Amino acid sequence: MKKALSGKILNIKNVAKETYELSFKSDLEKIDAGQFLSILCPPKTLRRPFGVYDFENGILKVLFRLKGDGTNYLRNLKEGDIIKFNAPLGHGFEIKGKKALLIGAGIGVAPLVYLNKKLKEQNIETKLICGFKEKEEAIEGCDFIKIGGTIIDEVEKNIKEFTPDIIYCCAPQIVLKLVSEIAIKHNIEVQVAMEKVMACGIGVCRGCIIQVKTKEGIENRSICGDGPVFRGDEVIWE
Amino acid sequence: MGIDLTVDLGKIKLQNPILTASGTYGYNVEFDDFVDVKNLGSIVTKAITLNPRLGNEGDRLFETEAGMINRIGLENVGFKKFIECKKVILDDKKIPYILNIAGNSFEEYFELAKLCEENNIKAIEVNVSCPNVKSGCLEFGTNPETLLELTKGIRKNYNGFLIIKLTPNTSDIESLALSAQNGGADCISAINTVKGLGVRLDFINGKFKKTMVQGGLSGKCIKPIALSMIKRIKEVVSIPIIGIGGVSNFKDLLEFFAVGASCVQIGTENFTNPDVTETILKDLKEFMKNNNFKTLEELKGELR
Repeated sequence: MKKALSGKILNIKNVAKETYELSFKSDLEKIDAGQFLSILCPPKTLRRPFGVYDFENGILKVLFRLKGDGTNYLRNLKEGDIIKFNAPLGHGFEIKGKKALLIGAGIGVAPLVYLNKKLKEQNIETKLICGFKEKEEAIEGCDFIKIGGTIIDEVEKNIKEFTPDIIYCCAPQIVLKLVSEIAIKHNIEVQVAMEKVMACGIGVCRGCIIQVKTKEGIENRSICGDGPVFRGDEVIWE
Repeated sequence: MGIDLTVDLGKIKLQNPILTASGTYGYNVEFDDFVDVKNLGSIVTKAITLNPRLGNEGDRLFETEAGMINRIGLENVGFKKFIECKKVILDDKKIPYILNIAGNSFEEYFELAKLCEENNIKAIEVNVSCPNVKSGCLEFGTNPETLLELTKGIRKNYNGFLIIKLTPNTSDIESLALSAQNGGADCISAINTVKGLGVRLDFINGKFKKTMVQGGLSGKCIKPIALSMIKRIKEVVSIPIIGIGGVSNFKDLLEFFAVGASCVQIGTENFTNPDVTETILKDLKEFMKNNNFKTLEELKGELR
C-alpha cells in the first residue's frame, strides 16, 4: 500500500561528481527493486521520483545528480532534517531466471545496484555493467565500467561471454531502446525501467504516458502507476 | 455538539466544502491509500468523453514557478467503461462524486448528457474548454452564444445537478457566466486551467535544445486569477459558484469564501500533498471550534 511518509535524514554524502547519496529513516517494511519514492522538495509543486538505491532495516537510500531546484533542495538538507515522501510507488523488476545481465548508464545505475543485491539474495548469478560520461561520475558497485562512448558497445560482447537469460536496464530512453532491440534479437527477456517528468506519481494524472503493444492493440501505460518497469519488447519507443 | 460543514447547493447537498478537481483525482478510489475519499465533499472525476481517448503524444507536463502546465489531451476510458468499471466502485463505496464530461461537438455533449440522465448520475460538471471542431476549433466556453446554446441543450437532456466549468481564457467572464445561468445551469465552477507555454532551453555542446509545452497552467500561481474571476462572476449571477485554482491550504479556502465561492475544488496540490484535503478539513474544523462557528454558513457570512 502506498503511503505518505516522512523520515529523518541520516546522511547526505558526495559519492561522485555532482552525485549524492541520501540516506533516511522510514517505517516501510518492504520496497522492491525498481519501485520508487517521490520526495517533496519545497517550494516545488512536483515531487521528485527516485528509484531505490538500497533498503535495509527501514533505512532508504537514493542517489541523485544535481539537476535543478529539486535536487538542490535535497543537496542543502542536513542530517536530522525531515523529508516527506510517498512510497512504495509503481511496480518494480520481476526477479526471475538464473543469470542476469544488468545494464546501466549514469545515475540510472542506482536501482540496478539494489536489484543486484536482491538477485544475489536469490542465488542468481549477475553481472552489472554501466557507462559513465567521465571517470569522476562513476558510481561504486558495478562489475564493469565504461567511461565515455556508449555502454551499448559492450552489450553484444557480454551476451556472448556471460550468456544471460534475462537483461535488466535502467538508462536514458535511447539506451533502453537499443538494449531492448539487442535482447530481442538474441531472444532474451528484457525489463527496462523508464523515466519521464511525473506529477501525481500514482498513475492518476496521465502525465507520464508511454504506449505499449498488447493483444488488444496499442494502449497507454503510465510510467508511475503501471511502471516504471516494462518489458522492453512491449514498449513502443518514441 | 458537532460542527455543521454542510454546503447546500440547491439540488444537492455536500457534507463539506472540500472537493477535488477533475483530472487530479482519477475516477474513484485512486487516493484511498492517502485519505478516506468518501469523507470528501465530493470528488470530480477525470473528464469522460463519449469514446475512449488516448490523449496527446509528446511531453505532457512542464513544471513552472509555483505551478505546472499540462497537455494530457483528455485521455480517458470513455463513458461506457466508466459506467461498467468505475461507477460501480463509486456507488459501492458510497463516494460522493460529480462526473466531468467533455465533447467535441454539440451532439457529443447532448448525447453524454442524455446518457448521464439514463444512468442516474446525480451531478455533472461540463468541461467547456474543448475545441468545437465544427466552428474552426474555437472553444465552446469562450463564446457567450455558443455556451448558451450548449448549456440549454445539455439542460434539455439532463435533469440532475448541472455545473458549467468556466475557462479563464476570456476577457468577458461575466457574459459567459450569464450564459451558463440563463442556459439553465444549477452551478458554475471556475476556473479551468489558464493557457500557458513552458519553455526550457538547454545549452548542450554549443547548441540550444528547445523544449516547449503549450497547455493549461495550474497550481498556486493561478490563485489570484481564480479569485478575481470568481469575484466578477459572483457580481452577475445568483447560482452558486465552486471555486477552483491554486487552493492548497485552509487560508486559501477562506479567501475563496471571501470572494463568493460556496465550496472549492483542490487540484494540483493533490500531487504535491496527496492528503491535503484531509489537512484542510482538519484545519477548518479546528478553526471553527476554536472560534465558536457552529455552521459553515455562519463562517462564510462573516467573510462576505
